[in-house]
Amino acid sequence: MRRAPAFLRVIAIVFVAVAVILPFALRAFAGQREVYWLYVVSQFFTLAMVAVALDLLMGRTGQISLGHNGFFAVGAYTAAILSSRYGVDLLAAMALAGLASAIASLVLGFPAARLRGHYLGIVTFGFGVAIDQVALKWDALTGGDQGLHLKKATLAGIPVGSPFALYFITLAVLVVAVFLVRNLTHTRIGRSFAAVRDSEVAAAAMGVPIARTKVVAFVCSAFLTGVAGSLYAFLAGFIAPEDFGTTQAMLFLAMVVIGGSASIPGAIGGALVVDTVNQAASTVSGLSLAILGGVIVAVTLFFPLGIKGLIARLTNEDDGAPEGSRSGAKPVAAPAPERPIARALEKVGTD
Amino acid sequence: MLEARDITVRFGGLTAVDGVDISVPERGVFILAGPNGAGKTTLFNVLTRICPVARGSVKLGDVDLLAHRPHEIVRHGVARSFQHAELFPSLTVLENVLVGMHSRVRVGLVGGAVLPPAVRRREDEARAHAQSLLQRLDLWRLRHACPADLPYGLQKLLDVVRALVSEPRVLLMDEPFAGLTERESPRLVELIQQEGKRRAILMIEHHLELVMDIAERVTVMNFGRKIAEGAPAAVRADPEVIRCYLGKSAAQEAVAAC
Amino acid sequence: MLELILQIALAGLAQGALYALVALGLVVISNTSNVLNFAQGAMGMAVTYVAWALLTYAGAPFWLAVGAACIAAFAIGALAQIVLLARLGGASDMTQIVLTLGLAMLIEGLVGLGFGYNPRPMALPMSMGPLLVGPVVLRPQDIVNLSFLVVLSLALAVLFTRTSIGLTMRSITQNAFAARLMGVPVERVLSLAWGFGVLLGGAAAVLAAPTTSVTPDMMNTILIYGFAGAIMGGFGSLVGACVGGLLLGVINNFVVAFVSPQLSMTFIFALLLVVLYVRPDGLFGRKSVRKV
Repeated sequence: MRRAPAFLRVIAIVFVAVAVILPFALRAFAGQREVYWLYVVSQFFTLAMVAVALDLLMGRTGQISLGHNGFFAVGAYTAAILSSRYGVDLLAAMALAGLASAIASLVLGFPAARLRGHYLGIVTFGFGVAIDQVALKWDALTGGDQGLHLKKATLAGIPVGSPFALYFITLAVLVVAVFLVRNLTHTRIGRSFAAVRDSEVAAAAMGVPIARTKVVAFVCSAFLTGVAGSLYAFLAGFIAPEDFGTTQAMLFLAMVVIGGSASIPGAIGGALVVDTVNQAASTVSGLSLAILGGVIVAVTLFFPLGIKGLIARLTNEDDGAPEGSRSGAKPVAAPAPERPIARALEKVGTD
Repeated sequence: MLEARDITVRFGGLTAVDGVDISVPERGVFILAGPNGAGKTTLFNVLTRICPVARGSVKLGDVDLLAHRPHEIVRHGVARSFQHAELFPSLTVLENVLVGMHSRVRVGLVGGAVLPPAVRRREDEARAHAQSLLQRLDLWRLRHACPADLPYGLQKLLDVVRALVSEPRVLLMDEPFAGLTERESPRLVELIQQEGKRRAILMIEHHLELVMDIAERVTVMNFGRKIAEGAPAAVRADPEVIRCYLGKSAAQEAVAAC
Repeated sequence: MLELILQIALAGLAQGALYALVALGLVVISNTSNVLNFAQGAMGMAVTYVAWALLTYAGAPFWLAVGAACIAAFAIGALAQIVLLARLGGASDMTQIVLTLGLAMLIEGLVGLGFGYNPRPMALPMSMGPLLVGPVVLRPQDIVNLSFLVVLSLALAVLFTRTSIGLTMRSITQNAFAARLMGVPVERVLSLAWGFGVLLGGAAAVLAAPTTSVTPDMMNTILIYGFAGAIMGGFGSLVGACVGGLLLGVINNFVVAFVSPQLSMTFIFALLLVVLYVRPDGLFGRKSVRKV
């Protein structure tokens, strides 16, 4: 298996190290604000997970989804209902939340597999709105606009509802999710995702079932998003339909666009940017939307490869090749590359 | 072994392929020739089920290929390379070839995500198989490159490797020599020669001089119909064939010269 | 009972007229430039603020404000095409969708920053009273909506079939490459198409304002209905878009009346899924084939 470039491995280690040390640092120095910051960073971990999941679907498989807030909501509500009514423990809640989202994605996935980009975007968008409406309307189950309170999280009987414990659990889940997705992209199914995105005709000729692969990608992405949603619910302790509106769908989209496509570090970086902007601008209505919208437009037009492109430059894999060709994957937001120009490769030589 | 009978394809009012029969034995190199627009690629599209037929049957041994979906064809042993390579730009050279093995590698969703030793072993075996094939064409050292960075000729070679790696019984090649340089062509000729001893290769090709020596049979199509079929030398001298390629006067000259 | 049904249907038609306008705009843009303008709603909303500002601060007469909004919409559309979309060239579907979405976010954010999210009221001039057509009542709003749809559709029809500009647009729809080769000023025509498309969206937004009030997110729901209507109509023909939008309006009204107002979107979404599952190219759409 191809090992990630040294730069990325270092970044990953640093990231995890910082993440592990942070709570202790906060306990020592942050005083009153410790809980707040633990909460904020934990939420970031859940967003990062959604970003990775959405990138798997959009960046890697080329299927647009503007309704991932719907899967997030399904996961969150599943956990909330299970916890508030039956006191289900954290692990079971997470698993069932993921499962519920996966099943919901099947409803979407089957017709989606037959749709071209335009229609798929609209249908997924409609899905997100519909879930929001159902959450609001079905108040017997979801508490309607009153929302739901979760019981404190427990794991095999042990209470783990403290911000400290939940932080580490969320971090662990994020790391596991990244591990799973990375493995997937380096094996047969992950390759088939990319094949479906790049050339359905060629992929089919090699035995990749196109529609089924798209559905599988949807299901994987929804499952991870659902699990992230369940963690979000436990972290917040309380959820209501307004948490999962179309603005959230836009935020998710922004994460992936900024991150660049088919890149796990890019997705996490995109989540970092979006979350930071959103948190910083949250007091002024419209500001975060304006900033992120502007960034999306700028990235689409001028930096199509997003953070991933940045990483590629920094890891110096780039030997001066034109931006469009080097990093391989067609960016989420980029002009179509021209027919490849035949170039002699000094580095490897051709003949 | 591969028997296509009475293949007829219509696009609206146009008959692209008109009652063509073609059969391909177990082994050997066979050429499908004809001017542009003769319906050759369409015929390939029928064989790989990309294109629906108005009439006809396609059998590989006992298997009725027309009853299968496009992604099921390679499992029965029919693989193809494309006129324009159709590579996967977001995957590396090696990964492109590994997709070619999709039907032969048993690694599922959960296995791929968790990656237990058994799955890792299967992936490594697939990698080894891909490696041996890439090495034969001296492409192994480019395995981490992106297809877009390769010269066009090497992209076409990669496409061929991708098709071969699934160990097909019948390999369909669509103008594999188009775009190859003088240095790359001999590599491909040698590969085809070697593989022709192990499997059937049906090749659409215009550069007949490159492959005349290694092919045992040429089938010529024009306007959707089969107009000639036989040993290369005979077909090349066939007036009908000459006429469709070069025009009527050239054919008359050729006949007068005999 | 019959009167009730007729009433619901008619009101649905009037509401559907707005969806139809949005759908028409989307289809005009999509047919010529092959881009799905997700910013259609936001752009319409922006010019509605222009109209509202003129009404409130300049004391302008209502129809003048509406006219100004339409002109502004045209300008925004053309500008968007020239400045932004033209840079994309032949980018993928996803790229274009993402760009227009980003644009929508940007516009909504900026308007929210400038005007806040408080709803601003905007009312039709009260000079008209309700009209009685047999047993059913037509509110002034309904009449205005339907009239606008009729007038604008007719104008579009005339534009496309009788003027050279319209003909040019249709030639681009068929084959932009060939059109360019034949000297058609494709870029200029595309900006015109975008101008018209957004104008239609702007008209829909201004007409919706009396009901929804003027807020930065006023068009979000209507946009979805517009999309759905366009999809049902196959995203190809203008007639299809019109019919799709009107049909959706009627269906939606029945759902609101007999099922539940809060589940209308869910119902439409389910309907859309069913339609697309059965006919992936929409009700009136034609299959698209790709050559290998």
